[in-house]
Amino acid sequence: MTLVIAEQRGGVLNPATWETLAAAQQMNAPVTAAVVGARVQDTAAELAAADVAEVLAVEHEALEPYTPDGFVAALAQVVEATGPERVLFPHTYQTRDHAPALAARLGRVLIPDCIGSKDRDGQRVFVRPMFQGKFVADVLPEGPAPHFASFQIGAYRADACVRGAAAATVREVAVQLDAAAIRQRPEAPFKEAKQAVDLTQAERIVAVGRGIKGQEHLPLAQELAKVLDAELAASRPICDSGWLPMDRQIGSSGQTVAPKLYLAVGISGAIQHLVGMKGARTIVAVNKDADAPIFEVADYGIVGDLFEVVPAIVAALDGD
Amino acid sequence: MERETLDVDVLVVGGGPAGLAAAYRLARLNAEQGGEPLMVAVLEKARAAGAHMLSGAVLDPSALTDLMPDWKSRGAPLDVPVRDDRIYFLTARRALPFPVTPPPLRNHGHYVVSLNRLAKWLAEQVEAAGVDVFTGFAGTELLYEGDRVVGVRTGDRGLDRHGERKGTFEPGVDIRARVTVLADGVRGNLTKTLIRRFGLDAGRSPQSYAIGIKELWDVDPDRLPAGSVIHTMGHPLRHEEFGGGFIYALPEGRLSVGFVAGLDYRDPLFDPHVAFQRFKRHPLVSNLLAGGQMVRYGAKALPEGGWHALPRCHADGALIAGDAAGFLNSMRLKGIHLAMRSGMHAADAAFRAVREGDVSGARLSEYARLVEEGPIRRELYPVRNVHQSFAGGLLAGLLYSGMSLVTGGWWFRDPMPSHAGHERTRTVKRYFGGGVPPEPPGVPIDRALTFDRLTNVHYSGTRHDEDQPSHLLVADTDICRTRCIEEYANPCTRFCPANVYEIVDADAGAGKRLQINASNCVHCKTCDIMDPYQIIDWVPPEGGGGPSYEGM
Amino acid sequence: MKTAVCIKQVVTRDWPLRPAESATWVRDDDASFEMNEPDAYALEEALRLKERHGGEVVVCSAGPARISQVIREALARGADRAIHVESDALSAAGADAVAAALAAAMQDESFDLVLTGLQSDDQGFGQTGVVLAERLGLPHATIIMEVDIAADGAGLRVKRELESGWFQWVAMPLPALLTIQSGINQLRYATLRGIMAAKRKEIRTVPLDGVASQGQRILELYVPEKTSATRFIDGSAPEAARELVRLLREEARVL
Ligand SMILES: Cc1cc2nc3c(=O)[nH]c(=O)nc-3n(C[C@H](O)[C@H](O)[C@H](O)COP(=O)(O)OP(=O)(O)OC[C@H]3O[C@@H](n4cnc5c(N)ncnc54)[C@H](O)[C@@H]3O)c2cc1C
Ligand SMILES: Cc1cc2nc3c(=O)[nH]c(=O)nc-3n(C[C@H](O)[C@H](O)[C@H](O)COP(=O)(O)OP(=O)(O)OC[C@H]3O[C@@H](n4cnc5c(N)ncnc54)[C@H](O)[C@@H]3O)c2cc1C
Ligand code: SF4
Repeated sequence: MTLVIAEQRGGVLNPATWETLAAAQQMNAPVTAAVVGARVQDTAAELAAADVAEVLAVEHEALEPYTPDGFVAALAQVVEATGPERVLFPHTYQTRDHAPALAARLGRVLIPDCIGSKDRDGQRVFVRPMFQGKFVADVLPEGPAPHFASFQIGAYRADACVRGAAAATVREVAVQLDAAAIRQRPEAPFKEAKQAVDLTQAERIVAVGRGIKGQEHLPLAQELAKVLDAELAASRPICDSGWLPMDRQIGSSGQTVAPKLYLAVGISGAIQHLVGMKGARTIVAVNKDADAPIFEVADYGIVGDLFEVVPAIVAALDGD
Repeated sequence: MERETLDVDVLVVGGGPAGLAAAYRLARLNAEQGGEPLMVAVLEKARAAGAHMLSGAVLDPSALTDLMPDWKSRGAPLDVPVRDDRIYFLTARRALPFPVTPPPLRNHGHYVVSLNRLAKWLAEQVEAAGVDVFTGFAGTELLYEGDRVVGVRTGDRGLDRHGERKGTFEPGVDIRARVTVLADGVRGNLTKTLIRRFGLDAGRSPQSYAIGIKELWDVDPDRLPAGSVIHTMGHPLRHEEFGGGFIYALPEGRLSVGFVAGLDYRDPLFDPHVAFQRFKRHPLVSNLLAGGQMVRYGAKALPEGGWHALPRCHADGALIAGDAAGFLNSMRLKGIHLAMRSGMHAADAAFRAVREGDVSGARLSEYARLVEEGPIRRELYPVRNVHQSFAGGLLAGLLYSGMSLVTGGWWFRDPMPSHAGHERTRTVKRYFGGGVPPEPPGVPIDRALTFDRLTNVHYSGTRHDEDQPSHLLVADTDICRTRCIEEYANPCTRFCPANVYEIVDADAGAGKRLQINASNCVHCKTCDIMDPYQIIDWVPPEGGGGPSYEGM
Repeated sequence: MKTAVCIKQVVTRDWPLRPAESATWVRDDDASFEMNEPDAYALEEALRLKERHGGEVVVCSAGPARISQVIREALARGADRAIHVESDALSAAGADAVAAALAAAMQDESFDLVLTGLQSDDQGFGQTGVVLAERLGLPHATIIMEVDIAADGAGLRVKRELESGWFQWVAMPLPALLTIQSGINQLRYATLRGIMAAKRKEIRTVPLDGVASQGQRILELYVPEKTSATRFIDGSAPEAARELVRLLREEARVL
């Protein structure tokens, strides 16, 4: 049995959970989902729509708000009670905060941040990036079950999660927790404008290069970023000229990013730029030079004048 | 502003073979002579020992053996004796072997080494002997008391690109020393100011230089046995250009492939980077590299003026050693052993001067005597005119090199006349006699055998904090877009191997302007040497910046 | 306050790495190494806390002999002494083995605070700190952007980064372990005095015989293959733009 640990906060299911369920469903073993918190009946019911054997609702007052101590203690009991072959998580900040300790408490190791899983010579291996995406590795969990792994967000598609013919049963699982043994005392989360943009977290990035010619043309790219709900970034010459701040530079002396969409406009694709964005899931390049190296990494390419193509993309997005 | 100061007896600037040999010798003298030990420190701009070392390298171990007779048991990385020595003259398609290798080019008893590894190891020995090696600190200024050098100021750290202080600002340190040994390498920035201030090169031939570009390759180990040494002349250079290629085989299929081109070419459109790529495409080379992988890249100038171009190497409180002075045998393409030897001599002179409490230039001139009476002159004097003779063309040069072996270096005029290399570059108009210059020989870039500059630079591991003032001071960038563009077609865009200089469209269609990508710089010093107007001044960037020449 | 900082040495960020012959690790015998970036921030944070609250900063590193480079760098920046758990087997070890090795060597030191980097630039496990906390029996918090030690020294409050611009303060008793996010502070430069002083600082070497079970094994390490060839979209600008938007929606599903 594969146990998938769902993530919810305040009754709202983290959509990455569906992705991890999709990953689990491809492993030829029955899937059980578990959701942990103080009040999880609604999220459990939501999860029951997936094609899973059952959904475990793990409720305890001491599990709200989230603490690593509380979650490790609760999940250790759930895992021991259900005896899964493997335990899978979406690789969220919360997972990073407690899952390694959970695995360690049970004498296991978490294989984190996986982008896939496959059968290799009859063994289930997990595929994960290493050396900042320069390599991927097939990693074999060793030792007795259960094995632990977490899946990078976006590695699987949420809509690939197969829905069940009927809602799965929801089973409540009781856990023993001593609220006094929880050492972390979290306060309410708050939102804060970061001093610096964090492009590493951006889902979509529009990056401009020297093809934009002058600072006066930047609004063109800004407009595209806006309609795509993307962050604006740049190659070095743009930041070097002070047209955009240095924290928006992508590349070996700037940021390394891996967004879902990277749209490179008027960027030649020098190796120092490529090393900063090669890991993007989908790369689009607009360049008037068909031989520009950026096309070697692009998934989609438009050879053309950005001053025509970019407004056309904006129009095409606006048009609907 | 509070400036840290540090007092030492002898400060060595530069952690190359010259500086490290000087430091080690001083530590040995401390141990052997007893008494109050001299306090010795080494300043090195690279972030780690050896990180700015780029050489061939075939090592003549004579100086190392004198410096440290037990180098073998101390694990010196001299793993591969030279086993086989070949010279070819290349035509566009063919490689004609020289029937015999002339004796001075023979490398029997020498080793194929990585100077980076050798310097790293030597730095460890130096530290273990009690010397402080400060990596990541660049000497930016000589400190004077009157006309006596009393130490070095290191660069400020934590300035932004406009020269304003960042939160991390850390002012430079004044390191005061009784004797400062300048071993800051070819065209060293401190040596340059010392020579200018005291006219130390008066009456000497102008120094001439070459640029060396090199890649490390991993190929099938059966391709070329470790210890093989190949030198080439000819293609892709023309008769009027001086230089040649080398291939040295290290263990495990690692090849050191390099190309040296004299920085005294006449053709303003000559491009050393392209010449190197064309060299690799010659069948002799491409057959060796086929299927292999380039793993490291770098470039560095070397002094080739020889004996006649050596400046006076001593001043009050200061000595100059190694490539900074020009102790390099260009006929053998060897400078490491001479750098070490000169460092040892400098150490001997400095040690006695400090002990005797007289660090005047007169006292320190003992260094000149040691150079005159020792192996350095014995090696350099007989070949004193070789490089100059190549100014008359390759054949004249070869003829002379051959003859000098017979005549002991005598030539019709002694010393031969020589010009500073940048003065030989002709204007486009003069070189091509008016009219439209022909398209210079290009080279297809496949990023397997041949590379564009930027890709190459990536493999040099070069890194600088981008938010710092440019360390390439161009006195007048107007010249670039008004005169140079017309006269020389901006040769900086060709002789700089790292694409630091670009001529780009100025804002708002106002013609062209010079763009300086200072953080690309691999510290080769070519621009400081070769710019036709002599308006580029290379000064050290923030300490720790620059290439990372692992294995080079 | 006695603070431990766990520091890893990693291959420099832009080193052109290639898989080793075995294809289970990279060829790093000739590589250049540096301090793992988040660890440098952890060290800086420890030094700043020491400046405010006094005490001692101890570098704890597990790895082969070559890691003495980063240990000395940390001492030059201002750490007081170091513990080096030395074994060649640790050079490619996973987080669990490293945490076990560190825990054994740190057990008896009774640190008040242990700081690690958020994750390493090489393996990117991001869990050495968390596993170490579990092994040392310490409470922990991850992805820390600010550290506040209570005046009485009994506890601390830390600012954690959550996803998409959210943050959260968490209070904890001491001793505790924190994993530090890059950018929490500004790194200082090593000074000449620091470098000289570092030479006299103690590095306690703890030999390690054999690495504990890793719980996982790399079967193969390879360069990710680009899955599809570039699809060039032809036509006039408006046509190409419409087609691109369609493909991004329906094929790539990124809009
Ligand atoms: C040590 C070092 C570190 C570096 N770090 C970085 C880094 O972090 N990030 C980085 O980006 N670079 C970095 N670089 C610089 C890098 O090598 C390149 O110089 C840089 O990325 C080029 O930027 P670009 O593509 O915008 O400009 P260019 O290379 O000039 O390319 C402009 C492109 O725009 C196209 N174009 C022009 N006009 C149009 C038009 N009208 N329509 C469509 N296309 C057009 C051209 O065909 C060309 O391909 C670094 C270099 C070094 C040596
Ligand atoms: C391509 C090429 C191939 C060569 N092949 C051979 C060969 O096969 N055999 C051979 O014997 N020789 C060879 N040489 C020559 C040899 O490498 C040099 O002669 C030798 O390295 C000179 O040693 P050095 O210590 O004087 O200078 P360098 O080795 O240049 O060392 C100078 C050091 O000083 C540092 N420095 C400079 N300025 C400052 C400053 N302001 N503050 C702090 N530090 C500073 C530099 O970073 C550098 O580390 C070759 C050279 C080249 C370029
Ligand atoms: S800027 Fe000058 S020193 Fe730097 S790489 Fe270019 S030519 Fe060499």
